[in-house]
Amino acid sequence: MADASIEFKGTSFTLSVLHLKTPKLADIRADLVKKVAQAPDFFYLVPVVVNIEQLDCSLDYQAVKSLVEEFNFTFVGFTGSVDKEQRKLIRELGFSFVNTTRVDTSKKAAIAEEALTTETKATAAIPERNLYTDKVHRGQIRSGQQIYAKDQNLVVIGSVSAGAEVIADGNIHVYGSLRGRAIAGAKGHHKAQIYCQNLEAELVSINGNYWLSESMEQHWGSPVYIHLTDSELTSSKLI
Amino acid sequence: MARIIVVTSGKGGVGKTTSSAAIGLGLALKGHKVVLIDFDIGLRNLDLIMGCERRVVYDFVNVINGEATLNQALIKDKRVSSLSILPASQTRDKDALNKENVGKVLEELGKSYDFIVCDSPAGIEAGAMMALYYADEAIVTTNPEVSSVRDSDRILGMLASRSRRAELGLDPIKEHLLLTRYSPKRVEEGEMLSVEDVEDILSIPLLGVIPESQAVLKASNAGEPVILDTESDAGKAYQDVIERLLGETVEFRFLVAEKKGIFSRMFGG
Ligand SMILES: Nc1ncnc2c1ncn2[C@@H]1O[C@H](COP(=O)(O)OP(=O)(O)OP(=O)(O)O)[C@@H](O)[C@H]1O
Ligand SMILES: [Mg+2]
Repeated sequence: MADASIEFKGTSFTLSVLHLKTPKLADIRADLVKKVAQAPDFFYLVPVVVNIEQLDCSLDYQAVKSLVEEFNFTFVGFTGSVDKEQRKLIRELGFSFVNTTRVDTSKKAAIAEEALTTETKATAAIPERNLYTDKVHRGQIRSGQQIYAKDQNLVVIGSVSAGAEVIADGNIHVYGSLRGRAIAGAKGHHKAQIYCQNLEAELVSINGNYWLSESMEQHWGSPVYIHLTDSELTSSKLI
Repeated sequence: MARIIVVTSGKGGVGKTTSSAAIGLGLALKGHKVVLIDFDIGLRNLDLIMGCERRVVYDFVNVINGEATLNQALIKDKRVSSLSILPASQTRDKDALNKENVGKVLEELGKSYDFIVCDSPAGIEAGAMMALYYADEAIVTTNPEVSSVRDSDRILGMLASRSRRAELGLDPIKEHLLLTRYSPKRVEEGEMLSVEDVEDILSIPLLGVIPESQAVLKASNAGEPVILDTESDAGKAYQDVIERLLGETVEFRFLVAEKKGIFSRMFGG
């Protein structure tokens, strides 16, 4: 029998992160007392990750864990852009090291990038386009009308008339004829794509790269998807 | 409940007034109580086509402004007693109508008529918006050429977003496509869009195809709506439109150019 009783899946969570600015436990304790006193219920059993990247000297990791637990937090692990040696040390001491994907300098980015590929997948970045939800429009979009799917993909169940305009920060799907203008990846997104069942558009644009009708000759009147390859628009037949 | 039908197009001169007159009279001939309203304030055209221009005393704007009652302004058709016409004013400007008062007039008319047919002015400005605002159904009048189809598409967008039904989230306006001035010969020669082309672009149900016809000009000059010319192709085509509006399924006619004789076809005459 397969392992039907369990399943491992990666999911992203929002966790509270406690940033340490000093390795001195007494100072940390004093500030924690003040902080927790403001809202004791709010912090009760809250999972917390301790960020140590602002420290440039060694730290008593075990003591920090105990201190955090003393205030009724649930200790998860350490985080921060630190070098490989330190990360290794932390893990050898029996603590988990949690990777973040938010970094602010290129050096840190490089470290985080590498960490991502080698370590836990639980917080791995989801490919950018999957972050978008769909905005679904039923019915034809008529000349003079404009639809914008802000921070979303746009799904049109119907045709887009000549003189109409559809815009999405994500992908655009037209289950019908695309005769108007379609602008995907409007905020700058080179992986955005445009799908339609019949290409007769006035303009298609992805991440600022556009085609007018005359550039669509190859697949005019066909079901196609349009995407960017090396900043060049490309159209491919769907069937 | 009266059916409020707007005859609209966006583009001017496509046959809205011709169609309003034919359809209004056609429905009345079937025994329905019909009122035809001219929303084209400032131009006053419908009364000419209906042949009642000399009987206009009060008009739509007088009623809106409370200067006349509906009964004073309505003109009874001399041919069919169940048909009335509410004419437009020639002297007022386009902005003489307001939503609230138009609504009141339509409500009042709705109590005694089965059909209220509204002849819209061209364009997509206030006048045309007023004509379509209260509609339950729209007859989108279109000529088989690109600019007319584009304007019809725009009007369809307005019907879906700017009407009372859209604003209140009620069932959408029922849309009908009426192709007018259709010339199968010119379609075959590639000078005009075909019925299929227009249907494909607008994707709304086809109500009728009215051929380009000499009979229309003759009819307007005589003040006799072309539907009364029962021998003419345009008259017959409008007759079919009436049947379809009343729920019948009628085959489409006048879609192909008149066949030449077999010999002239064989020898390319
Ligand atoms: N089927 C037809 N065959 C030939 N001529 C037609 C046909 N339909 C309309 N016409 C002509 O086209 C012209 C415009 O028609 P009509 O006044 O009905 O259009 P309209 O849409 O009401 O115009 P406007 O936008 O100015 O109100 C008229 O001269 C009319 O005789
Ligand atoms: Mg008119």
